[in-house]
Amino acid sequence: MNTATLDKKYPPVRSNKKPKKTAGQIASYVVLVIWAFISLFPVYWMLTFSLKNNAEIFGENVIGLPKYWVWENYTRAMNTGNMPQYFLNSVIVAVSTILITLVASIMATYAMTRLDWKLSKTTHKFFMLGLTIPIHASIVPLYTTLARVHMLNSYWALIIPYSAFSLAMGILISVGFMGDIPYDLDEACFIDGCGVWGTFIRIIAPLMMPAVATVGIYTFLQCWNELMFANVFISKDSLKTLPVGVQALSGQYTTDWGPIGAALSIATIPTLLVYVFLSKQIQDSFIAGAVKG
Amino acid sequence: MKKLLAILLTALFVLTAVSALAEEQITLQLWSIATESDSSHQAYVDAIAAFEADHPNIKIEHTPTENEAYKTKIKAAMSSGEELPDIFFTWGMGFLKDFVDAGRVVCLDDYYGAYAEELPQAMATNVTYDGKMFGVPYTMSLVTLYANMDILAEVGYDHIPATYEEMMDCCDKLVAAGKIPFGVSGKELWCLSEYVEPLVIKSVGGETLKAMYNGEESWNNEGVIAAIAAFQEMKAKGYFDPSADGLGNDEVKNNFIAGNYAFYQNGSWNNADIGSKAEFAVQAGTFPVLNPDVTLYQMIGGPNNTLAVTESCEHKEEAIEAAFYLAKFFSDADYKSGANLPCWAADPNAEVSDLVKSAADMASKADSMVLFGDNFLSADAANTYLDYIGQAWAGDITPEEYAEGLDADLH
Amino acid sequence: MRRPFSYKLNIFLFLLPALILFVGVLIAPIILSGYYSLTEWNGLLTPKFIGLANYQELFTSKSINIMRALKNAMLLAFFSTCIQLPFALWLALKLSRKPLGDRFYLSVYFMPVLISTVVIGQLWIKIYNPDYGVLNLFLKSLGLDSWTHVWLGDKTTALWAAFVPILWQYVGYHMLLMYAGIKGVPPELNEAAMIDGCTEGQVNRYIIIPYIKPILRVSVIFAVTGSLKSFDLIYVLTNGGPNHATEVPSTLMINLLFLRNRYGMGSTIAVMLIVLCFVFAIIINMIFKEDKGR
Repeated sequence: MNTATLDKKYPPVRSNKKPKKTAGQIASYVVLVIWAFISLFPVYWMLTFSLKNNAEIFGENVIGLPKYWVWENYTRAMNTGNMPQYFLNSVIVAVSTILITLVASIMATYAMTRLDWKLSKTTHKFFMLGLTIPIHASIVPLYTTLARVHMLNSYWALIIPYSAFSLAMGILISVGFMGDIPYDLDEACFIDGCGVWGTFIRIIAPLMMPAVATVGIYTFLQCWNELMFANVFISKDSLKTLPVGVQALSGQYTTDWGPIGAALSIATIPTLLVYVFLSKQIQDSFIAGAVKG
Repeated sequence: MKKLLAILLTALFVLTAVSALAEEQITLQLWSIATESDSSHQAYVDAIAAFEADHPNIKIEHTPTENEAYKTKIKAAMSSGEELPDIFFTWGMGFLKDFVDAGRVVCLDDYYGAYAEELPQAMATNVTYDGKMFGVPYTMSLVTLYANMDILAEVGYDHIPATYEEMMDCCDKLVAAGKIPFGVSGKELWCLSEYVEPLVIKSVGGETLKAMYNGEESWNNEGVIAAIAAFQEMKAKGYFDPSADGLGNDEVKNNFIAGNYAFYQNGSWNNADIGSKAEFAVQAGTFPVLNPDVTLYQMIGGPNNTLAVTESCEHKEEAIEAAFYLAKFFSDADYKSGANLPCWAADPNAEVSDLVKSAADMASKADSMVLFGDNFLSADAANTYLDYIGQAWAGDITPEEYAEGLDADLH
Repeated sequence: MRRPFSYKLNIFLFLLPALILFVGVLIAPIILSGYYSLTEWNGLLTPKFIGLANYQELFTSKSINIMRALKNAMLLAFFSTCIQLPFALWLALKLSRKPLGDRFYLSVYFMPVLISTVVIGQLWIKIYNPDYGVLNLFLKSLGLDSWTHVWLGDKTTALWAAFVPILWQYVGYHMLLMYAGIKGVPPELNEAAMIDGCTEGQVNRYIIIPYIKPILRVSVIFAVTGSLKSFDLIYVLTNGGPNHATEVPSTLMINLLFLRNRYGMGSTIAVMLIVLCFVFAIIINMIFKEDKGR
C-alpha cells in the first residue's frame, strides 16, 4: 500500500470552511518560505559560482547570476578529475548494493515471517541489531580481510559492506510490506503443490515489487554519500566514487572556486534532475518505508 | 571432445611459451605525490619518458596521489602488504622507518656503490637505519623565509631583517602601516611548524634539536620555552594573518603571491611557484637567530624527497635501477626548474633563478640541518608533536606547558 | 503439521544470503575489532596482546582526549533531538495541513538529503570562507563587521559552524518520516476533535503527536545514534580541527588508525562506539515505553 491509496482513503486534514488567515498562520507560512530559501540557497549559489570567474566570485558579483558564463570551468573540472567516471562508479556501486540488499532482505523476510520455525522472532531481532551498529566500527577488520583476499580496489570492496549495512533497514521495510500480502495467497499456492520456493517466486516476489522502490531509496541514501570506506578501500582513481573524487578534486583547486563549483555541480545535477522528475515517487516510497517500518 | 581439449591445451602451452619469450616486457608501478598541481609533476613525466626510452622493455606506470591522501594510501597498502607499488615516493626518517621495520622495503646497500660518486653519502643520512640505506633521496628542502621586498621597502627596509630585534621592528612597522607581516595556514599544522621549528633551532641550535627529536635531550629547556614565547608573542602582536585559521596552505601561498603578505615562511619547494608567479621583487632568506650564541645558518630541512623499492616487488633489479635513474633525473630537473634543491651532484653550469641560488647558497652555508619534525618523528609522535604546535598557536598552552608536555608525551 | 527436513533446509537457504552478509561483514569484524582493541598494533607488525591497556589509555590520555570527542557527539545529539527534530516535526505538521504549495515545500526540504555530503561540506566551506564566503559578506553588507568570524577555523565557533550543515541537511529526512506518520493518523480522530472545537495546536498535541510516537521514537534513535557516529560532514568541514575542537569519535578513530598507525587504539574507539550506540538505543526505547505506560 502506498500513499496514493492512502490519499484516497483518508482525505487530507483540511476543513471545508475557508480558514481565516490569522497572524499565526501567516507567520508560519513565512517560516516555510524562509526555510525553503535556506534549503535552496546553497544549491543556487553553487550553480551560479560554477559559471563565474574568480573576479566575480571574490567580490564583484557574489550572489547574482553570472555576467559572463564561464563554461570553461566545466571543461576544466571534467579534464582534471574524472567526474563522469566517478559518477558511473557511484551508480554501479549503488545499484549493485540495492540489488543485493533487496534479494537478501526479501528472502530473509520470507523465511522469518511466512515460514514457521522456532527462532524466527529471535533471528529478526538479531538482524535488527544492524540498525544501530555504526558502519565505521568494522573498518580495520574489513580492511585487513579485503586486503588478504585481494579485493581492495574493486567495486566489491564497497558493495559487500554497503549491502551488509543496508540489510537491517531492508529487512525492516520488507517485513512491513510482506505483512500486507494475504496469507491465503501463499497457502493456496502451497496447496497447489508449489513448495516453498515456488510460492516465494510466484506469489511473494512479484507482490513485493512495491517494496523495491522503498528499499531502493533507503539503501541509496545509505551508500551514495558514504565517504570513510570509499576513501580507505579504494585508491585507484578509476574506481573512486563520487564523494572521494569530489573531495580529492576540491583539494587540488582550493583557490580556484569556479572549477570546484563545476565539479560539485556535475556531481549533483544528475541526482537533482532525477529528483525533480520523480520527486513524488521518491517521497512516496520514502514515506511508505516510514509507515511500514 | 578430448581432441578439442588437447588442441586447446597445446594452444595454451604455445601461448605461454611465446609470452615467456617476450616476457622481457616489464611494467613497474610507481606511486608518488606529483599530481598535476605539484611542481615536480613535469619532472616525473619527463623522467619516466627518458627512462622508458633508455629501457625499451620496461614501462613505468605512474600513479600520483594528493599529498595528504597519499600518506593514508601508502600506509594502508604497507599495512596489508597487498597492492603495493614497485617503487614509491616517501619522506625520510620516521615516515619510512615504520615500513623498513616491517620489512617491506628493499635495502639498497649492494646497489649504492655504483652511484656513490654522484650521490654523496651525507645525503642519505635520513634514509639510513642501523647503517643500512633504504631509499634514494633526490631533492632536499629547506625552510625558507620569502620576503616581498616591495612591501618591505614601504616601511623602509631594503633587506630581510638580519637580527631578531630588526625583525620585530620591521613587523611592528608593517602592522602600523596596515600590512600583514606573515602568511600562514592555521588549518594545516605542518605550516605552523614551518614557523615554530626555525624559532626553536635558532634558539637551541641544530645539534640539541636533533638530540631532542632522538629522545637524548629533554624538550623542557629554556631555549624551547623562549622560542614558543616568541612565537606566541608574534601572534599576539598581530604579525600573522588574522584569517590564518580559515585558510589552507595553497590559499596562503596564493595570497603571498598576490602581494598580501610581507613574508611567507615555508619549504624551498615553493621557489619555482613564487619565482615565476610573483610580480614583485622577492628574496629568499632565513629567520634571524633568537639566541645570539647560535649561528644564523642553523637550517630546518634536509634531503627528504625519496624513492624506495618495495620488498614485494617482482623485478627488484629493474626497479632499483629505475629508482636511482629517476631520482637522479628528478634531482637535476627539480634543481633546474627551481622546484627544489638537488641531493645529487648538480650541474654547475645550470641556469637557475635567484631564489634557487639563494636557497643553494643557504644549503652550502648550513652549519646544521635538521629535518622537519613531523618527518623526523614516527607517525604517532609526529602527530602528538603537531598537536602541541597547534595548541601553542591557539594559545591553549603556555610555552612552559609546551615544553613540559612534549617532554612527557614524546618519549 | 510435520515439517520435513527439507523445510528446515529451505528456511536456512532463504536466510543464507542475509546471514552471510550480516555475520561475515558485521558480526565477525566487530568481534575481531574487539580482539584488536586489546592489542598494540601499528598495522604493520603482528598485533601484541596488551589486555585492557588501550581502554585505560583511551580514557586517561590527554592527547587523545576522548572525552572532548564524546562531548561534541553528545552536543550534536542534543541539538539534533532538541532543535532539529522539533523543527522537522513542526514542518511536518504544517505541511500535513496542505498549505498552498505543500508539494513544493516537501520536495525542497527533502532535497538536501539527496545531495552528496561531500558536496554539501565543500559548499559550506565556501559559505564560511573568511574572506569571500557568503556568510561574512552578508554580515558585512549589514554593517555587522564585528560579527564576522573565521567560522571553521576559530575554536569558539568551529563546532557550531560544523553542526549547522549537519542539522540543516537532515531536517528534510526527519520531516518526511514524521509527515508519513501524520498521514497515517485516522481522519476520524481529527474530525472528531475538530467538531469538539479543538484548535489546531490541541489536535497536534493530543491526537497527532501521541499517534505518531513510534515514528518519533525511530527519529530520535536515528538522530542520536547518527550523531554518535557522525563522520562525513565533520571530516570534510574541519577534519576535527582546529586543535581538535570539533573532534568526534569517528574522526578521532580515523586519525588514530591512519595518521598515527595505532590500529589497536582505533579499534578500541570502534568498540566504544558500538557499545554507546546500543546503550542509547536501549535508553531511548525505555523512555518511549515508559511514556506509553502512563
